[in-house]
Amino acid sequence: MLFFSFFKTLVDQEVTVELKNDIELKGTLKSVDQFLNLKLDNISCNDKTKYPHLTSVRNIFIRGSNVRYVYLQKNMVDTNLLQDAARREAMSDKR
Amino acid sequence: MSFFGFNSKLPNEGNRQRHDHGKKDNNNSPLDFEDTYKGYGEYEREEDDYLNDETFGDDVAFGTDFDFGHGSSSANSGMISTNQSQGQQGFNDPVGMQGAQAQQQQFQMHSSYAAAASTTVPQQQAQMNVTMDMRPMESLWSNQPDMSTQVGQNEVLSMEELERQQIQMQQQQQHPPPQMFMPNYPNQQPQQPQQQFQNNYQNNFQNNFQNPQNMNNQFQQPPPPQIFNQPPPPNQQQTQAQMNQAPVHMDSPGQFNPQHMHAMHAVPGGMPMPMQMNNQISNHLHHQQFDPSLELKNQNQHRQQQVMGQNIGQNELLENDQALSTPSPKPTHQVLQREDGSIASNGNNNQSYIHIKDKGPRRMSRRSEPLSSEEQKRLQIRHAKVEKILKNAGLMTPRDKDFITRYQLSQIVTEDPYNEDFYFQVYKIIQTGGVAGKSNKDLIARAYLEHSGHRLGGRYKRADVALQRMQNQVEKAVTVAKERPQKNKDNTDSAREGVLGKISSSLNSKAPRRQLQIPSPKLSDEEDESKLSSHASSESLEEVTESLNNVGINQSSRSRRRSSYAFSSVDQISVLSRSGGRKFVLSLIETVYEEVLELEAQLRSGNETDSTGLWESLHIGDEAYDVSPFISMLSFDKGVKIMPRIFNFLDKASKLKLLQTFFNELSHLNVIIISSFKTNPTPTEAQLKKIELFQGVFLKIIVSFLSSSADFIEIMGLLLHLIRNNNVSFISTSTLGLNLITILISRAAIIKQDCNRTNSLSSPDIQAWNEIYDKLFISLETKLSLVFPPQEYRDTVVKETSQSGQLQQSNTQYFDQSYIWQFLASLALSGKLNHQRIIIDEVRDEIFGTINCAEQMKSLPDQSSAYRRDKLYQDLNLFLNVMGLVARDGEISELK
Repeated sequence: MLFFSFFKTLVDQEVTVELKNDIELKGTLKSVDQFLNLKLDNISCNDKTKYPHLTSVRNIFIRGSNVRYVYLQKNMVDTNLLQDAARREAMSDKR
Repeated sequence: MSFFGFNSKLPNEGNRQRHDHGKKDNNNSPLDFEDTYKGYGEYEREEDDYLNDETFGDDVAFGTDFDFGHGSSSANSGMISTNQSQGQQGFNDPVGMQGAQAQQQQFQMHSSYAAAASTTVPQQQAQMNVTMDMRPMESLWSNQPDMSTQVGQNEVLSMEELERQQIQMQQQQQHPPPQMFMPNYPNQQPQQPQQQFQNNYQNNFQNNFQNPQNMNNQFQQPPPPQIFNQPPPPNQQQTQAQMNQAPVHMDSPGQFNPQHMHAMHAVPGGMPMPMQMNNQISNHLHHQQFDPSLELKNQNQHRQQQVMGQNIGQNELLENDQALSTPSPKPTHQVLQREDGSIASNGNNNQSYIHIKDKGPRRMSRRSEPLSSEEQKRLQIRHAKVEKILKNAGLMTPRDKDFITRYQLSQIVTEDPYNEDFYFQVYKIIQTGGVAGKSNKDLIARAYLEHSGHRLGGRYKRADVALQRMQNQVEKAVTVAKERPQKNKDNTDSAREGVLGKISSSLNSKAPRRQLQIPSPKLSDEEDESKLSSHASSESLEEVTESLNNVGINQSSRSRRRSSYAFSSVDQISVLSRSGGRKFVLSLIETVYEEVLELEAQLRSGNETDSTGLWESLHIGDEAYDVSPFISMLSFDKGVKIMPRIFNFLDKASKLKLLQTFFNELSHLNVIIISSFKTNPTPTEAQLKKIELFQGVFLKIIVSFLSSSADFIEIMGLLLHLIRNNNVSFISTSTLGLNLITILISRAAIIKQDCNRTNSLSSPDIQAWNEIYDKLFISLETKLSLVFPPQEYRDTVVKETSQSGQLQQSNTQYFDQSYIWQFLASLALSGKLNHQRIIIDEVRDEIFGTINCAEQMKSLPDQSSAYRRDKLYQDLNLFLNVMGLVARDGEISELK
């Protein structure tokens, strides 16, 4: 649940999502669930000439399995805390 | 009613008519495609087939266009929409009743093919009679008006009925003429069993809501009106419906032909031609004008035709009357009604009622003036929206929704948020600065409410109630989550009782499949092994050392040996290898982290913390290794970063012991080695960053410990550890080492000054301090000028730091020597006059060099050099002031 927990803190932040079909979408993360399905608002496609069908789309629901990368701003992540969280996760796995 | 939908008596169908008798045996013999489907050969009637007429009707023709209801035929779209609406009703209604109804509907559709085929032929009357002959055995198709089914429906529909009644009550207040839907259809039921059902919905609100006259007419209907002067067979109306739907199916959607329609109506209705014509065309025109979108238009048209056809007896006359009597505004209104009809057919009745109720009064008021096209467009969009919203509304009961919500929530809530949702919880605390933990469930409820779109609180706008409900749901979900079997525990026996196949409970959203499977041996084994190996290695090392020295190893010789190692290399591997190896040290750091995290979790939950585990994991007193593992831990950034958190849990004695170990083995500290210009004359950017981190984290801890809790003797002890076990002159070439010494002696000097004032310091203490100071001074004597790094080193550092762009200040352009002057100042401060004289003698060149440098700055005009000059003097005077001197404008004078 570490990634779920992590992505929850990104809600209402602007992220760029790269899908496995190479589409990159930039938008405000509105919601995320345990499958890391994402709901983006005010999206804009980075390559409008290639994917013109996305120009008129304002919000989108992305199935988590289709996401390749989520690009974040550096300041959105508390790396020390994330390290701790990862350690806790590993600890709870061990038990 | 014909199963295959074509009238065999039609002249243009004669070809098929001839062989259709032979095909009726398709129940009994296997069909050959060529023979039956497309074949045109003659077939004899079979003997066993005597019931076929009863089953399928008499004189039924075959067609090749079989459409069993869910057809995609575009000409059928009007009927299909009805079908769909019934399908949706079917979710709420008892299946049996709806099924029969749907079937009925299908028959209607198919018999409409017969009607369609006949439209070009003038003898409709004859055909109608035929169609009536073809009606199926009612018992066979359960067409019989069945009171028990009726009752069943009432029971199951009770929720809807209740709502409907409520709505009707509201409507009654709004529309003075009482509209009684419910009473309506049980009355009509016996006489017009199936048809009435579907017609009711549409006709009722269409006619009743906005055409009070029509409604009245409907009320009069129950003894079915004898408009046609025909003996009323039970299916008469149905037949008429079929007749009238014909054009709809025949014509492609776009090419609607009002005259066609009109002709159809004219014959069975026996209406005067002009009136019909008038009405139809006016309606049609309005459709055209009103609906830009073809689809909606067609839907409306179909709907209209259907309605009119089905209710031809009672409705059409009236409509005609209205169309003729009321001038222009009226048709527009009718159009609106139709639209409602189409919406109703898509949603279930319940919703369309609500819809009408909402819209009704407003539209009534607007009725008088015709809508502009813009308004109409807007209205249309609005309708489309409402339709979209209402399409599946009411499909789930609130209980269903609650269940789904709870089920979904149970996946994401947890009773132990700090454990399973650690990052989010702590992040929120850090961000908001408040305590997020207590309102965790509340937050989830709020967020979920927002996402699910329930935040408005439904019909009654009770957002608080909705929130409360959701909070309840979250509570329940937590319980569900608690009861869920622990995933880790039942990994092995995932097969449940009585379940065929295997449920992979190990692969869920909480524990997804891993890309990397790292085998994890038992922790204790690993530790034992590494200890054994390190023991072996250290033992062998001891042996070598012993043979070399040929003397017993005592503490001092051992430490001297260590010091000599320190010069050997910059890389940490040699040091690490003597404290158990890199892997071991890294695993130790992780153990330390685990201990700290555990302690922090206990602290959060308010439990007592026990730091013995942590202390053991630090391996501070561990004599098994040449270099204490603790020192090696500080070689890693993460080892440095955890230190402040370790200090939170250690008591004072432990802290002191830790620092003693630290100062004891300072020469082995990786960061000292890389920060010394002697061992590392060209530091890289990464190394400089590491030094900075160490300075920012660990030095801070030491300073705070020394200034807050250490007393004079303890500081002396630390200094002694430093002097005795390390090469001080080497350490003094390191920025960090020099800083550490500065911290110790300046703190001691401050305490000493304080104690001098109060005379609380005993003479043995002072004497011990003097001895230690002498020791330190001796080890530094003649090497004091060496604390100044050579020019290349300064240049490298300046270059690296300015490249990395960490510091945007102007002071990145030169090497900051203030730490050296601080060291000299604190050294001079604690020393006696002869010490100070020696210091000045040794660093005389540096002093004048600095002054020269500052004077050169004077000639440069820009702001930064002036600042630089001030800084140089400031640093220098830090040292000179201790001895009562001051450097100003190129000269050194006595401080006044």
